[in-house]
Amino acid sequence: MLTLAAALLLLGRAETYVFDEARQIVTDMTAPLLEIASRPVAAARRVVELTDEYAYVFDENERLRAENARLLAWKEAALKLESKLARYEALLNVQIDPAIKYVSGRVVSDNGGPFVDTVIVNAGRAAGAKSGDGVIDTDGLVGRIVATGEKASRILLLTDLNSRIPVVVEPAHYKAVLAGDNTDWPKLEYLTSLSSVSPGDRVVTSGDGGLLPPGIPVGLVIQTSDGFLRVQTFADRDRLDFVRILKYEFPTQIDRQDPPAALLGPPVEPKPVERVKPAATIPGAPKPATPALADTAPAPAKPAKPAARVAKKPETQPAPQPQVLPPDSAPSAATMQPVPDAEEQVPPPEEDVVPGTQDTPGTE
Amino acid sequence: MAKLESYTPTPGARAGRIVLTVLPFVMGLVCVLLSFVPVGRIFGTAVMPAFGLMAIYYWAVVRPEMFPVYAAFLVGLLSDLLSGGPIGLWAFAYVLTYIIVLTQRFLGMNAPFSVFWFGFLLAAIFAGFIGWGAASLFYGAFLPIGPIAWHLFVTVALFPLFAWIFGRIERRILPSG
Repeated sequence: MLTLAAALLLLGRAETYVFDEARQIVTDMTAPLLEIASRPVAAARRVVELTDEYAYVFDENERLRAENARLLAWKEAALKLESKLARYEALLNVQIDPAIKYVSGRVVSDNGGPFVDTVIVNAGRAAGAKSGDGVIDTDGLVGRIVATGEKASRILLLTDLNSRIPVVVEPAHYKAVLAGDNTDWPKLEYLTSLSSVSPGDRVVTSGDGGLLPPGIPVGLVIQTSDGFLRVQTFADRDRLDFVRILKYEFPTQIDRQDPPAALLGPPVEPKPVERVKPAATIPGAPKPATPALADTAPAPAKPAKPAARVAKKPETQPAPQPQVLPPDSAPSAATMQPVPDAEEQVPPPEEDVVPGTQDTPGTE
Repeated sequence: MAKLESYTPTPGARAGRIVLTVLPFVMGLVCVLLSFVPVGRIFGTAVMPAFGLMAIYYWAVVRPEMFPVYAAFLVGLLSDLLSGGPIGLWAFAYVLTYIIVLTQRFLGMNAPFSVFWFGFLLAAIFAGFIGWGAASLFYGAFLPIGPIAWHLFVTVALFPLFAWIFGRIERRILPSG
């Protein structure tokens, strides 16, 4: 028996297909049992949490009030930024990331002992989960799926020794690899030596490799006593319950998307002449550096959607004050600054409405 | 003829005897399953004890004839398959621990419970060391000691409860001998 066990250990190093299949069959068979057993545990935990909540209900109420006031300010900022971003995306002809579908499941098993950080979730191939899918909970990234059965899947947590996740450290956008080492705080590896990452910086997924979508919150940078930069993950592996399996596909395999919903509006009749009127009607305004294309080019038969919809916006908002630059002050990348809101309502560059000159979403 | 019939066990009795024979082994498997149920999360921790090791130690000392070495192997193998770790890791550690415990079982057979418990502490440290060494070799790196130490601590701390449960089952259900 001892020899057999040692032989299995050596053969397992090769990660043979037979072992993977055996593991998955056993996981599928035991998942219903584990799920049944985990339900009273979840109920008991809820009771404990409720007791805690009752004990601290006044403190919690105070904290939530303060947080709510803070978040309301953030909400205003977020709405403003959202509309700004939507407009920029349309102006720059950005391909919008597709919405990510997901499958929800409950974690039915605990992590697999002291040397492995995996959990089993009760959603498998039948629910659409597949190996490599990212898994998140309400706080952030939890890990990724490494094996799927018909009814259950195994999630490799971020803290596991074998976990490697490409991330970026904000706000400077330094790329790194988040490497688990079976401790509570995975390490940041492959950071450039000149990077100025400091504790408290936010870490999100980079999307490199195409397995995980970019921008999923992962955690905060901390520095341990041994000098390593590590990450305190947002997701608490000790409190995993319901998780979402992201059915993410790399964007190149997906058809081009329509512009953001913020820009959608009623169809606009192509009136290119109207769009150059504001600049021309300002008394005393200097002549634009480049003549309006609408004056020289024929009217487009079918204007591009984003440009037309952005041009429609001033109808419902105060008339914009177009910014006209003198001929010798063409903006460069180095001198470009965020413009105030009043100036963001300038109609888009005329190049966008010239048919056939640009690959505009929604026109194919 | 009637006398002979009275000595023939009925199918039900035969089935019952088989169940009793495999009961320790089944309890070992149930213990492994239990170690994957997220009970610890009630208290906000994911650390779970090695219930399978408790069963192996108890039955190896008390009823080794009902818990042979291949039962220890299968308990370890199930643990490996469910954990997602290296296949054979806990099977190897448990079988080795079982063999060592079997050779020393006379020390804890009629001893007070504290000695029995101390024996489990040594067995848990041994199994943990073997598991840690094998896993470190497998991954080619020294794994952190903290998780295994915490795992063993919880296992040893909860052993009296499970030894009591095993003892009750043994006295109530299993035939004496």
